[in-house]
Amino acid sequence: MFSELFLPVLMVIFMLVVGGYAVAVLDRLVASALGTPQAGGIWLAPIARGAWLLIQHANATEAPDWRAWRLAPALYLALAAGGLAVVPWSASLVATDLVTSVVLWGSVEALATVVIFLHGWSANSLLALIGGYRYVALGLSYILISMFVLIGVALPAESLQFTQVVASQEGLWNVIRQPLGLPLFLIVGLGMTFWGPLNLADSTDLAGGTASEISGPPRLVWDMARAAMLVAFSGVAATAFLGGGLGPWLPGPLWMSLKMLAVLSVLLLLGRLLPRLAPERCVTLMWVVLLPLSFIDLVWAGIGALL
Amino acid sequence: MESMNDGIGVDIAFLLLATLAVVTGWRVFRTDSMVRASFFLLVSFIAVGVIMILLAAEYLGVAMFFMMAVEMTVMALFMVMFMMNPAGLNPMNMVHQERIAIGAGIAGFLILGAMALLAVFPDQPVPADLEPVRSLGNEMLGDSMLIFESAGLVLLTTMIGVVVLSSHRGRYGAAAEGSMPPGLEPGGDPAGKPEEDEAGEGEHHHHHHHH
Repeated sequence: MFSELFLPVLMVIFMLVVGGYAVAVLDRLVASALGTPQAGGIWLAPIARGAWLLIQHANATEAPDWRAWRLAPALYLALAAGGLAVVPWSASLVATDLVTSVVLWGSVEALATVVIFLHGWSANSLLALIGGYRYVALGLSYILISMFVLIGVALPAESLQFTQVVASQEGLWNVIRQPLGLPLFLIVGLGMTFWGPLNLADSTDLAGGTASEISGPPRLVWDMARAAMLVAFSGVAATAFLGGGLGPWLPGPLWMSLKMLAVLSVLLLLGRLLPRLAPERCVTLMWVVLLPLSFIDLVWAGIGALL
Repeated sequence: MESMNDGIGVDIAFLLLATLAVVTGWRVFRTDSMVRASFFLLVSFIAVGVIMILLAAEYLGVAMFFMMAVEMTVMALFMVMFMMNPAGLNPMNMVHQERIAIGAGIAGFLILGAMALLAVFPDQPVPADLEPVRSLGNEMLGDSMLIFESAGLVLLTTMIGVVVLSSHRGRYGAAAEGSMPPGLEPGGDPAGKPEEDEAGEGEHHHHHHHH
């Protein structure tokens, strides 16, 4: 009972905490490497900021939808936990080895749209609402791309299970077998965490967008949830394209951590280097350029699976 | 998988999820906003999806999550876009034709309840070697392929049709060209049309009719 019920939960909570902290530290490292000075020490500043947020007053707007407004950050964190639960660390070490774990990750992406929209909508505030609507436009655009790319990795595995997807990459990682897959999927990752160039929902031109009205503990949960979702995404990307825990000499979980850190670093670097896209151009780019590219990726994967 | 056959745990999970599904389903009709109603319905569907996973329908249950998430988001936004009073955070009454609805509700409850109590359900335990995804795939792309492919094609045609109809850019120019808002009273001037000066009005009207 213990190993079946509590161990997976502990594993996911551990990843949420450590992963969220790792994102905060890595982002500061990337920023200072690119020449943006960071206040405070790199290792302690995230903790100090978290503690500061925890004792701050939680802002209230006029007549918000309280339940949705307070629940949205927690639900986004819960979705990140759901994503982390299906990421396999090795052939046997996985919190939940669901036979449809690839589809479950697709559901996490779709439900993220709902939660982020609710976060913007329920504040009863103009800029937050605009952020929420922008996110829906972005979310509906990246979901299809993500789906085709993920079907592509399920094809050689002949399974919708992430552990099988990893096993299918024993000979050749999907990043080489399906060259379009990982770049497209990284764009999906920036989208679903609205990070860097795809930060349309919480952008500075909306004074923080869906998060423009939150402060104190809800803000802390929201920031943690975004970081945790980035970790969950990098876990899925490492599993689907970089062979998960496969690798010589080192044990599986260590390989997996290294690959996740690599994906995280690339995402955070892209987030700092690329300018934010205008929402209209972003939607056009997604539907006119990236979606057809994901079709090509799927056809490529299909032909590869047939040969 | 073993915990699924544990019995008591599954029973508790089923009861909690069923309660959640019914309560949120009831809230759909008691809430005062389109957006809230849509997402209460989503929670209800998610609870049903988890029950389907408990029933070993692992693909259909998870598919319920992402299908309903996208569907309810799109539904909520379309209602906000197209309704006169979508009642975002403004309260509104969400029910109409109450007598008929109450009658239909009671009749539906009695019929479904009678079916649940009186019908003889087959007692077929799930085989241990069941592969839900594979068997579903074989069904959809085997015996039932014609039905699913026809339905898929019809849906795709509908989607393309909707995009074509709602697109601003059409084969014959902009969709809104020459369109006029309806009058506030029958036969009245178009609503929201800017005031024109007296001299230019007759000529413009004339021109418009020839166009």
